[in-house]
Amino acid sequence: MDDATQALIDRITADTAPVRPLRKGRGLALAGLAFVVTLVAMLFLLGARHGLMTGHVSVDFLVANGLLLMLGLSCVTSVVAMASPQVGAGHDGPKWAIAMAGVLPAAGILAATAPDGVGLMHVEGVHCMVLGLAASVLIAAALFAWLRRGAPVSQRLAGFYLGVGSGALGSVANGMACADDSIAHLGIWHVAPVVIGALVARYVIARWLRW
Amino acid sequence: MNGDEATMARLMRAAQQGDRQAYAVLLEQAAKWLRRYFRKRIAAEKLDDLVQDVLLSLHGKRATYDPARPFFPWLAAIARYRWVDQLRAEYRTQTQELLEDTASEDSGEEPVMARVSLERLFDQLPPAQVEAIELVKIEGCSVAEASERTGQSPSLIKVNIHRGLRKLAAIIEKAS
Repeated sequence: MDDATQALIDRITADTAPVRPLRKGRGLALAGLAFVVTLVAMLFLLGARHGLMTGHVSVDFLVANGLLLMLGLSCVTSVVAMASPQVGAGHDGPKWAIAMAGVLPAAGILAATAPDGVGLMHVEGVHCMVLGLAASVLIAAALFAWLRRGAPVSQRLAGFYLGVGSGALGSVANGMACADDSIAHLGIWHVAPVVIGALVARYVIARWLRW
Repeated sequence: MNGDEATMARLMRAAQQGDRQAYAVLLEQAAKWLRRYFRKRIAAEKLDDLVQDVLLSLHGKRATYDPARPFFPWLAAIARYRWVDQLRAEYRTQTQELLEDTASEDSGEEPVMARVSLERLFDQLPPAQVEAIELVKIEGCSVAEASERTGQSPSLIKVNIHRGLRKLAAIIEKAS
């Protein structure tokens, strides 16, 4: 071994202190806490949508929010795992969840552009999209903090999943207060935060994940 | 000291608990392993810098090692990350003769090492990209020299390097 490397090892070991290993469970708990806080805040600020507490919700509501929830959970799980690098670790799960959730905007656009559809643009939709984005901020911040503590080696993919996951969970939290159950509304305006979150995180936030 | 998987994992767990002696042994073994790991894939004069860079990263990110998981795939992910970083940062490297042996040749853990080797990363790239990266980024040829040796145009060499490095950065955790 060369002298410089040995000197470096001596220097490193001289200031060794115990560290707490980054446990996946703590990362999931952090993201889960951020989601619950967001959910409670949305319900407190906007009020629960009609029928939520009694279980009287439409099938479209259940399908749309169920898909977004699964998408969010899948991405969050991968993001948490990506903080601890490992050759051989696969992070393909969210890709399938994204493919499944892709049905939503397709159905939404079809329904909105149908002869009796509401059209692609409407103010309530934009309002819902903004609320969904706002609801994703805390979850995104929690995941970002977790990744910064960790050592993600695929920053672009980690950033992309962070954006998709936080956007999807933010949309679910907003969905608990949104009264519009039409697939045209859910498929476009409740998916828009996911798309915007993915783009922002992939192209902007991912740069700050370098270490 | 035998730097096999079980020993290294045990040393790393001890190091996370603040055991300096175990940590010193682990870092020495890791340095030896890294030298073998990088030898054919980095210019010889850059080898020590890269090994030290990885050791510093290992130290800074030692909390990210999960004691329930194997040690070498974790170290290899950090090593690959720093290696790609170095290839991307350098545009021209003057090289000396590259050494011959590889990490897997003198290791007692050949299947594990083969899975995490740098060769596996290059296997994921088209041959033209591998050739361009090897000549320009590792052997230190100019773009013009690489173009002459491969028959690829200079602009194609640049495109292949750019695309190859981008792909390498995206598949750091890939094992096969």
